[in-house]
Amino acid sequence: MPATVTIICWTALGIEKMDHSEAVQQMMAERYLLDELTPDTREAFEEHLFDCPECALDLRAGAAFVEVAKAQLPMLTGVLHAPAPSRSRKPWVEWEWWLSWIQPAFAVPAFATLLLVLGYQNLVTYPGLRAAASQPRLLPWAPLHGAMRDGAPLAITADRRHGVALPVDLPAQSSLDAYASYCFDLYDPKGKLAWTGVVASPNESQSGAQRLSLVIPGAMLQSGAYSLVVSGAGAHGERTVIDRYAFDLRLTD
Amino acid sequence: MQFYSFNAGYVESLCAGDQLVQEHFVGYFTELLHLKLRTRLQSTQTIEDVRQETFARVLSVLRRDGGLRQPERLGAFVNMVCNNVLFEHYRSEGRSESLDVEGQPELAANGADALEMAAAGQIKDKVREILLDLDPRDRSLLQAVFIDERDRDDVCREFGVDRDYLRVMLHRAKHEFKTEYVKRIGNPMSLGANACEV
Repeated sequence: MPATVTIICWTALGIEKMDHSEAVQQMMAERYLLDELTPDTREAFEEHLFDCPECALDLRAGAAFVEVAKAQLPMLTGVLHAPAPSRSRKPWVEWEWWLSWIQPAFAVPAFATLLLVLGYQNLVTYPGLRAAASQPRLLPWAPLHGAMRDGAPLAITADRRHGVALPVDLPAQSSLDAYASYCFDLYDPKGKLAWTGVVASPNESQSGAQRLSLVIPGAMLQSGAYSLVVSGAGAHGERTVIDRYAFDLRLTD
Repeated sequence: MQFYSFNAGYVESLCAGDQLVQEHFVGYFTELLHLKLRTRLQSTQTIEDVRQETFARVLSVLRRDGGLRQPERLGAFVNMVCNNVLFEHYRSEGRSESLDVEGQPELAANGADALEMAAAGQIKDKVREILLDLDPRDRSLLQAVFIDERDRDDVCREFGVDRDYLRVMLHRAKHEFKTEYVKRIGNPMSLGANACEV
């Protein structure tokens, strides 16, 4: 008599039995290969898989594709996913890698480039910086007339080599509205705070308005609309905006 | 594509010790058992032990009782026996609480068919062709999932795709590959002259 071998289906254990259309529709083979199934669903799919030649073939083909692809992918995506050299290099390979940098093929062009950079710095860059730091300089002076403060922006032309000097008038103070210091905020054409500075308030013996020069080096200049906000800071740090200058800078070089 | 299924004649031949049927039985279920066991067991030796014990018990029961009442469910029977062997293995290892070994690295499939297939130039060429047809980003996506074994959610987030995209991409690649796969290795259910065609 044939065995009454009871095949314990997972339905008996409270796990839903899976049919073929369900397995196909829900892409069970792909989920199985991607290890996305919960333990119960995986049991159910496996029970179906061992019973269904079509799903079994599907999964075998998928598994075979993944296995071969694993060997092929590093060659095809090597540029994007090259493993970090330090992780895979062995000690003697490490030495060879370092020694490769002193091979003529690398060393000659590298040293030639280094010499060029050093020469340029010593002959051009450093003398220029030294002269700028130790010699008098003539800067274009662009008056920020009071009439332009709240009106149309003043157009100023400057060049990168010299930068620009802007005169700023600090108002005369009475003893009632005396500030402890003045704060300057310079905003670049993108509206970002490019620079900020503080000067102490002139002492009481200096009566009348005080004139300062704000020197902006050429390196930080860009064409566009700048604004300079001048604030007075009280003894406790509270700020009051005194003046707001707007100017359109045009770089000539 | 023509499929064959298990029936009374197949089970009868298996019980009778028909060599061709036995070879087919072992060949067909070996790969399925490997796919099932590699997510649950860590060593290839243990996988092999469980596989052999499963086959031994299946054949023993079938011969002892003269077949199955539902021979078309031979596959489910093999799966059930394998689950029992696994349970016993876990119990002997003191880990009978679960079939699953969460967080363990998945073993690579290394059944005989996989090795044969990897050696087959045409198969490799086909996979390469499919991979080259993919968008480079999709190749990187597959690499992140299957080789780097990164968290699926992290990978999907990084590549700006969802899980369905990953499944569909794998489905398409698998579908294209399947034709070549069947052509090269044949339908695993086919038994040749003794095929138990339905």
